[in-house]
Amino acid sequence: MHYLRSFLHYLRAEVFVLPTRIIAVAFVIALLILPLFTQDPYLLRMLILASVFAIYATSWDILAGYAGQISLGHALFFGTGAYTTALLGLHLGLPPSLTVPLGAVAATLAGLAVGIPCLRLRKHYLALATLAFPLMLTGLVFMFPGFSGGEGGIWRIARLAATRVGEYYLIVGTMLAVVLILWRIAGSRVGLIFHAIREDEVAARALGINTIRYKLLAFAISGFTAGVAGALYAHVTRIAGPSNLNLFMSFQPIIWTIFGGVATVYGPVTGVFILYPALDLLHVVLPQYRMLIFALLVLFILRFMPQGVTTWVRDRIERVCPSCRVRNVATRRTCRACGAELRD
Amino acid sequence: MRSLICCLLAVLSVVGMGASGQVIRIGVVGPMTYIQGAHHWQGATLAAEEINAAGGITVGGTTYTIELVRVDSNEMQPGPDAVSAVERAITASKVDFLVGGFRTEAMLAMTETAADYKVIFMIAGASDDALLAGRVDKDYNRYKYLFRVTPVPSTSLARVAFILLGEVMEEFRRELGIAEPKVAIVAEQAAWANSIVTFVQLMANTPLALGGLGGKHVGTWRPSALATSVAAELTAVERSGAHIVFTVFSGPVGVVFGRDWGRLQIPVAAVGINVEAQAQSWLDATGGFGAYAATVGIYADGVAVTEKTLPFVDAFRARFGELPIYTAGTYDAIYVLADAIQRAGSLETDAVIQALESTDYVATIGRLVFDEVHDVTWGPGYTTAIGVQWQDGAPKAFWPREWRPDPVTAPDLVISAPGTVPYRIPPWVEAHWRARGS
Amino acid sequence: MVADILVNGLVHSGVYAMLSLGFGLVFGVGRVLNLAHTAFYMIAAYGIFYLVRMGLAMPVATALTAVGVMAVGLAIYKVFIEPVREVESTVLITTLAAAILLQEVAMVLFGSELRHVPPAFPGYTLIAGVRVGNQEMATLVLAGVCLAGVWLLLSHTRLGLAIRAAAQDREVANLMGINVNRVTAIVMGLGFLLAALAGAAIAPLSPVEPQMWMHPLVIVLAAVVLGGLGSLKGSLIGAVILAFAEVVVVFLVPGGSYLRTAVALLIMVCVFLVRPEGLFGASIAEER
Repeated sequence: MHYLRSFLHYLRAEVFVLPTRIIAVAFVIALLILPLFTQDPYLLRMLILASVFAIYATSWDILAGYAGQISLGHALFFGTGAYTTALLGLHLGLPPSLTVPLGAVAATLAGLAVGIPCLRLRKHYLALATLAFPLMLTGLVFMFPGFSGGEGGIWRIARLAATRVGEYYLIVGTMLAVVLILWRIAGSRVGLIFHAIREDEVAARALGINTIRYKLLAFAISGFTAGVAGALYAHVTRIAGPSNLNLFMSFQPIIWTIFGGVATVYGPVTGVFILYPALDLLHVVLPQYRMLIFALLVLFILRFMPQGVTTWVRDRIERVCPSCRVRNVATRRTCRACGAELRD
Repeated sequence: MRSLICCLLAVLSVVGMGASGQVIRIGVVGPMTYIQGAHHWQGATLAAEEINAAGGITVGGTTYTIELVRVDSNEMQPGPDAVSAVERAITASKVDFLVGGFRTEAMLAMTETAADYKVIFMIAGASDDALLAGRVDKDYNRYKYLFRVTPVPSTSLARVAFILLGEVMEEFRRELGIAEPKVAIVAEQAAWANSIVTFVQLMANTPLALGGLGGKHVGTWRPSALATSVAAELTAVERSGAHIVFTVFSGPVGVVFGRDWGRLQIPVAAVGINVEAQAQSWLDATGGFGAYAATVGIYADGVAVTEKTLPFVDAFRARFGELPIYTAGTYDAIYVLADAIQRAGSLETDAVIQALESTDYVATIGRLVFDEVHDVTWGPGYTTAIGVQWQDGAPKAFWPREWRPDPVTAPDLVISAPGTVPYRIPPWVEAHWRARGS
Repeated sequence: MVADILVNGLVHSGVYAMLSLGFGLVFGVGRVLNLAHTAFYMIAAYGIFYLVRMGLAMPVATALTAVGVMAVGLAIYKVFIEPVREVESTVLITTLAAAILLQEVAMVLFGSELRHVPPAFPGYTLIAGVRVGNQEMATLVLAGVCLAGVWLLLSHTRLGLAIRAAAQDREVANLMGINVNRVTAIVMGLGFLLAALAGAAIAPLSPVEPQMWMHPLVIVLAAVVLGGLGSLKGSLIGAVILAFAEVVVVFLVPGGSYLRTAVALLIMVCVFLVRPEGLFGASIAEER
């Protein structure tokens, strides 16, 4: 009873005061209760894949958005996760409950393997060096077709759950957990240090921050998360192939994140849940023009909302108190925390 | 909120498509932005239009019309796209049957999806034996939904290509007096090509008396199906001293090969499988340099494999302005399906499968009878495919022409398709070896 | 074999150098990491394909295509890129979306099939016992002329001086009275022109298809950072190194042409391990 009351209090004091938080909570609830209303396999599959990609996009946001280590080769981690789980299943016959975490571990190692040699590289050099790694791994995949499946990839990967609804809850649950954890990390001291490194690495070092350790930490967290996404993706689509490593796979999380709003965690999730279903529906409705419309959508939205959709919307419906920096709903006259007057 | 809107949109689109009744919905699977997929679609379109114009398919007193659903599998780059496309077709577009498919690597995964959802998939375009053999026979209940209409399986394609290679080698012996022609193999890096390469490598060196080709294999090169340059391979082939290059291409690399082969006048005769060389656009695509390329084909200028071949080819030409390539076999696939549905008198999957299994249908590519693994039967009197060479600006058939399929037990059995012409060695190749040799 | 590698290496070097030079200029002066750069090369190749099929002669088709590509490029720059220039990450995705847009337009208009432009110079010449296509030599000459032209422009004209100044330091150049925005627009145009000419050079040699921009994009990005960002000499040398690396792999590893990108990129990464700022990049302690 006590917990319930404090929970309700929390809801009233912290959630219902801001429209963006209401939207976020409503979104989570909608995702969780959706299968009670419809179990349409197409719709569930679309949301499952969107959830997988939301994990992937958020992993990019942590590394590039927060820590400023722009990676143009994120498919390396995604593909490592996918191939690891597929190969372990194929050659050793291990179940997904083992291979998915191992895929994520392998992707973490890949993150460190890329992060260590790239520590000296700055900005664009780093971005373009990372671009190289997934393409080099593709060369390796093609070199050993007997082991890796070569150009055709590995198919007939085990399902995660017996039913589509089971798969849905497993993946949506994972997505919500991962995003929540990353959101907590981003808001913690570590997240603050990531911010500092992005804004001014020299200054951060001057403050006594071991920037090398934190940059590697960012690579590891991001690699792990992208690895989870890649491994789940392999089990959902039941194929792991070179297209998991290609240029477009590297670019996709960047599109979603920047479209949604960079360095926010919820931005990439929003970006994926707008763009992925849109693209998938276009597949059914206007297959020939799907990518054309997709590209135009991205171009026009970014033209008018260069900071991303969530940032744009948030700035319309909320405003920051000039004296205490707390967010308020745009209709308020005075700040909900300090009572200062909110001017236009 | 966002997700709600998405759900609404999704549900609306599904409902919108499921609204009209009395239709059989057939998903046409292929790489739709490539010629292979375009012909999948066009062949199917022609069949659907003809059947609908003739009153549709009558099942138990109800008349159904065929509605086609375009399923772009983007399978030139095999990957999740293909599987997603098939799954989307089944779950969102609610197709009843699937036809088409092209790349074996993608088809292995796509047919798994079809088996998951228990949807009949008439394969028209992918040739690997392993799509059916080892699946339908080993696990009938899971894979009984898969049938192949065209092309003949890889091992049979290899047999045809091998016969064509033999014809060309014979021509070298007859015209140029080269007793042991040297053969180089250039095959794309893909699963379906492997068994063909192994087979031809072995047979090339086997003496004529033992049923081989009585030549010499001088090397094998395997570029990617999507390679944009084969300069290195061509240089190597020329260096190897080969007289004939045996090609195994289904992808766009075939055009690249044909064009540079003709442009640089590499002194080897090209024969084998080259899907791009089956297309009307071949000469245009190769800038005119693809003349004299020879390939296993299905359709050619004025060749009547059965009485249905020419009417189909003419109708296809009139409608789409070009010669169909083999993926237009979706035309036959839909007719075979319609035939089976009518014989079954039901749309119930198991009944249709039973009817399909007893199919004996004269199609545009030959007589179609499915064997025990649901594969198309190859051989004289069934489906054989033909040999096509580009001569005088048109695809001409040079095989089956005075073909003795079984000289030992049936010496009198000679097969010639009406409209075939003799094979011709490319003039620059002939000039080169005449200057060298005699 | 050596002669094969030399000829093919030079042809690829020429094309990659044209692309890298344009990309390097745009990045240096405009501070735009233009991922759509090679997409303009792709639409130029389609332009040539279409116009030649309509019966126009190659030089006319090239000229018309170059003008058209510049117009399309500048329009996209003005409408979509310039307004968001201040947000670097958004520029990245905007140019990427522009590349996808161009790819899809090409796909809708022409399909994914490989298209071929008939060579303006058919036939071949035997050089040192190697069959060298006449078209390859023509491409080499075209690349040489373009590169020489750009070099003359940059080193012998006032505009060239302004461009180099803006490339070195945008802010200071602005203070010195150079109209940086105008110079940027001119450089963007020059970049599109070079991309278009590279497309014209490659069209008769290599199949034209909607995704033909991806591979050169990777190589150009690698060449520009390999040479050192901001160094035009560096991007040219980077392009030559990567072109030869690719050609050597294609010719020396039997059936290994799929490894060409991997090996070229491996070279780039190895250079970074030794020189994090590329071969000719200025070693600035911290870019702020």
